[in-house]
Amino acid sequence: MIDAFLSVWNIVPESLQWLILTMLKIVAIVAPLMLSVAYLTFAERKIIGYIQVRTGPNRVGPKGWLQPIADAVKLIFKEIVIPNGANKFLFIIGPILAIAPALAAWAVIPFNEYWILADVNAGLLYVLALTSVGVYGVIIAGWASNSQYAFLGAMRTAAQIISYEIAMGFALVGVLVASGSLNLREIVLAQEGGVLHWFWLPLFPLFVIYFISGVAETNRAPFDVSEGESEIVAGFHVEYSGMAFAIFFLAEYANMILIAALTAIMFCGGWLSPFSGVPVIGEPSLFWLLAKISFFLFLFLWFRATFPRYRYDQIMRLGWKVFIPITIVWILVVGLAVVYQLPWWFD
Amino acid sequence: MPSISQQPHKFDPPLEPDLTSGKYVKIWHGPQHPGITGNMSLELTICGDEVAHCKTHVGYLHRGFEKLMERRTFIQNFPVVCRIAVPEPAFNEYLYAAAIEEIAEIEVPELAQWLRVLNLELMRLASYLMWLGGSSGSFGMTTVYQWTVTHRDYILDLFEEMTGARIYHMYITPGGVRAKLPEGFKGRVLKVMQGVEKLLYEVEKVVFNNHVFKLRSQGLGIISKDMIDEYGIVGPNQRACGFERDLRKDQPYLVYDQLDFEVVTETESDAYTRAWVRYQEMHQSVSMIRQVLDKMPEGGSFHADLPNVLHWNVPAGETYVKAECTRGEYGYYMVTDGSEYLQRIHIRGPSYTHAVSVMEKLAVGINIADVAGLMVSLHTYPPEIER
Repeated sequence: MIDAFLSVWNIVPESLQWLILTMLKIVAIVAPLMLSVAYLTFAERKIIGYIQVRTGPNRVGPKGWLQPIADAVKLIFKEIVIPNGANKFLFIIGPILAIAPALAAWAVIPFNEYWILADVNAGLLYVLALTSVGVYGVIIAGWASNSQYAFLGAMRTAAQIISYEIAMGFALVGVLVASGSLNLREIVLAQEGGVLHWFWLPLFPLFVIYFISGVAETNRAPFDVSEGESEIVAGFHVEYSGMAFAIFFLAEYANMILIAALTAIMFCGGWLSPFSGVPVIGEPSLFWLLAKISFFLFLFLWFRATFPRYRYDQIMRLGWKVFIPITIVWILVVGLAVVYQLPWWFD
Repeated sequence: MPSISQQPHKFDPPLEPDLTSGKYVKIWHGPQHPGITGNMSLELTICGDEVAHCKTHVGYLHRGFEKLMERRTFIQNFPVVCRIAVPEPAFNEYLYAAAIEEIAEIEVPELAQWLRVLNLELMRLASYLMWLGGSSGSFGMTTVYQWTVTHRDYILDLFEEMTGARIYHMYITPGGVRAKLPEGFKGRVLKVMQGVEKLLYEVEKVVFNNHVFKLRSQGLGIISKDMIDEYGIVGPNQRACGFERDLRKDQPYLVYDQLDFEVVTETESDAYTRAWVRYQEMHQSVSMIRQVLDKMPEGGSFHADLPNVLHWNVPAGETYVKAECTRGEYGYYMVTDGSEYLQRIHIRGPSYTHAVSVMEKLAVGINIADVAGLMVSLHTYPPEIER
């Protein structure tokens, strides 16, 4: 059986082999990602349900575990209503532009030392560039809908994402200085040696700012002004229905998982174990990365259930007047620490 | 022809912005909008994110109750009055019954008066709980809404036991109330009150000490002192402005003069203070309910002797009765002509001024994100605006 397969495989030209293998790798990343997005919505409803003293979805399937599948099936079969006066082409292209970068950024995420789809040297820049592209989908969707609410939401999102990207970029400059590399795998390897050697400790302000900016970047509560329910109904996707809406939804949650993964990789040692040196549990493995991602995702949900929504101008003030100055100061501190080779982290 | 110069009137609406200038956009905030309290809408003209002009539109829920009530016998009107302000029907029932009692000179037994106060204060608490949840919900805090509505539901359970219905209970009738308290009811009320107090303690931590909630609501929609009388602002909105006016204290009705409570006042008069005044009043209500259960006479009649309800002929007369509901002074003006039917009734609800003229004035100049929060902080019920 295997021999027969290999004999067929060897006939295939080498470039085609490479293409097929890459495609398979992409599927191996995107399929579990989509599944985790589906079950993240389930986790969200359950966790927020328990915070709000109710049980959350528990009717579809055993204990409600088929709920996300039912939601997906419903959304697939719903009609996509394109409003009168909307620009059809841009209306369709909006969600595609939103989801493409959210998925493409996963290409450089290292799942462990060897499992990386594209081990590029400028991985960090690639991630920053792609997360910025996501805003085009939102702006185009808001503009193409021909609705005032959608347009207001799109304008808010654009301004918010651009300002938080600066704080986020500065926070990552700190990581870059500390690790001396733009390659995500090497950033993780630079943090080897247990929980106290990870970057969250020396870069603590940057770590907090990066994560909060990430929440703002993905338009999650308390920074969800772009879809602020009681203010502008649903913001940029107010006119979307069916699968077009579902794609925005997927993009938002894929971005959440991405931000959680990046926070884990940049500041919390990626796949490294917090108990380095201890037998068995000290071994680096994919489990630790997933555990860290889950923890940060839980924080996303916890924030949403706890905080009221900031007003739009207050978000901008927080971004420009608080986060950016702190990050700039801390980059200097990190720079000095690296120059003078502060023991433990930078020696 | 001589031209008559006219002084601009105080209540002249602000000039509408010029929509053709390209600076403004008109959007409809409601009637199908999650940030609006019910079936009404705001026509907002916005300049960027700022509201330049606000116009309130009502009329989505006009059911013609006042006219309808002229065609029904006195007892048939009860299902109508309790649908005027949906989240707190008891005040309407009480006022309608009180108006009939005043015209017909019916003496209400003491036990019935205590039971009415118990009913009204439970209603006030339930209504405030719902408002508190809506208020934090309008700022994007959905968790508190779920918490408060849970406890409102416990109060509705009490109503079910006390009156037989959860919301429209028609418990207060002319001459008294419909039923005595069930066995062991006091203990269950105290248990629910304990839960409510625990909830209020948590809400203070989660909402009133929350940095973001303070940022959003402090300084939002400030009512100045000279607006109070001009616009007819009553209730907690007025007390948040420093006026110590409460009908329960100033002109006590029922047995409120035997209860010990404070009139809560604050001076800031923004959305946060209005919420804070209501929060304090919830504590007062809990304490009043405890006092009522304590001081209530054990036995006695709960209903005056009246003829068959189907053949009431209320004597001719005219009266205005008023009571302090959660939103302020609520009044019924009733005229009867000695027949089986009312001649005329007019209902004065505080929502009308609060939601229409005050909202139009306060909304100008605020961010569009705050419109929902402001609307909820004034505590208005659209069904009561137009009846």
